[in-house]
Amino acid sequence: MESCSTLAIVLEVKEFGESDKIITFYSEDRGKLCGIAKGARRSLKRFVNKLELFSVLELLYTNSRSSSLVMIDQAELISSLPLLRQNYNRYVAAALIAESTLHWTREHDAEPALYELLAWSLNYLTDPRHPPSWGVILFLTRLYTLVGYDLQLDGCVQCGTLLPTLSPYHFYNSRQGFVCSACRRRLQSSVQDPAMPLATGTVKILQKAKILPLVKLNRLKFTQNAESEALILLHGYGKNLLQRDSHSWAFLAGYSKDHKG
Amino acid sequence: MDVVPPALARLIEDLHRLPGIGRKTATRLALHILRRPAAEARDLARDLVDLHGAIHLCRNCFAFSEKDPCVICGDPGRDPALVCVVEEPADLMAIEKTGAFKGQYHLLHGVLSPMDGIGPEEIRIGALLSRVKKGTVAEVLIATSSTVPGEATAAYLISRLQGMQVKVTRLACGIPMGMDIKYADDVTLARAIESRMDTGKP
Repeated sequence: MESCSTLAIVLEVKEFGESDKIITFYSEDRGKLCGIAKGARRSLKRFVNKLELFSVLELLYTNSRSSSLVMIDQAELISSLPLLRQNYNRYVAAALIAESTLHWTREHDAEPALYELLAWSLNYLTDPRHPPSWGVILFLTRLYTLVGYDLQLDGCVQCGTLLPTLSPYHFYNSRQGFVCSACRRRLQSSVQDPAMPLATGTVKILQKAKILPLVKLNRLKFTQNAESEALILLHGYGKNLLQRDSHSWAFLAGYSKDHKG
Repeated sequence: MDVVPPALARLIEDLHRLPGIGRKTATRLALHILRRPAAEARDLARDLVDLHGAIHLCRNCFAFSEKDPCVICGDPGRDPALVCVVEEPADLMAIEKTGAFKGQYHLLHGVLSPMDGIGPEEIRIGALLSRVKKGTVAEVLIATSSTVPGEATAAYLISRLQGMQVKVTRLACGIPMGMDIKYADDVTLARAIESRMDTGKP
């Protein structure tokens, strides 16, 4: 059986049986993988304090011939990001990022840029200067692009009219982008979902969030209105595409209760 | 053709629903019950039926108990001003086994886990805050696990208890007894140094 070594971020930990753990992780070169760590709940040497949520690890695992579950043989802790467990609001934001990664990725489908984004986003959440919800916005905006569901924020998805001619901005989840007033009138019968109006400031900051390199992304600062609109937009957009909701949205600080449903 | 008699198949299905029991183990257990005398099976069935009827949650600490208040809350030798917060009944049993704790407990029946839809309202945090607000509690010892959800739950409790007239303490975290320091992981060792103890005057 092939033995592999990879950098990985733990997305989900489940107890299994008396002493094992089932770990879902996102690896740098193999994408999302699910593995079993035998004896991990009792181990005081190999796995203690390592197979924890959000930990960055160097994992040694063996592929199984009969199952999609890999066998985790060894783990070295690179970073445990302690602030994510010492602050409830940051913990919730990190959980939402992990849950979204679980929902939007397939096993054995490697995307190094997504690994980089995930690592960057969790690190961003450990900086006390950044509100946790900003980390969620930046992560989701780029996640949707990486998984092939790019938010179309440059112009009308029907006629191609470019910003800023398009103002006021009405985003439609079903069309994955803006629809201008003329096209809206034309498509009235086929556009069923309600429009999500966005302020110019929100559109501009989301455009920047999509294209800025990761090293410059932490310079972005959201106004209260941009933060609120972006969260509603990203939540509704993902929910509409996946046809399922992420539980963690219900607990995210700074997100209006009216939209959590 | 199904070779397993329906009654046996139903028992296998029931046992298979229990945590940590796979189909093979469920089959082995079911066959074991079948091979034993019928009286033993009847005793097991009676105990299972009695379980929900006899056992309730203590209204003070939310531990499983046949009495209300439970044996611990009703014990006059226990200090009601010292409350230890634990995740589950198994944690209470582990602490009781040490014999080192003489206060009362508060069971959360879970930890905060947003990915599973478990927030502060889904576990017994509100009841703990109400208990503290009554003014009879002097110290809350938070004894949740040192896993990420356990630590996040502890952090949430600490933030909610701040400003209340109560001392909040956390279970110490460090080197296990009998462990060689050079084999301890970095995080545990760092926590052990942070929570080092004063051994007295120089």
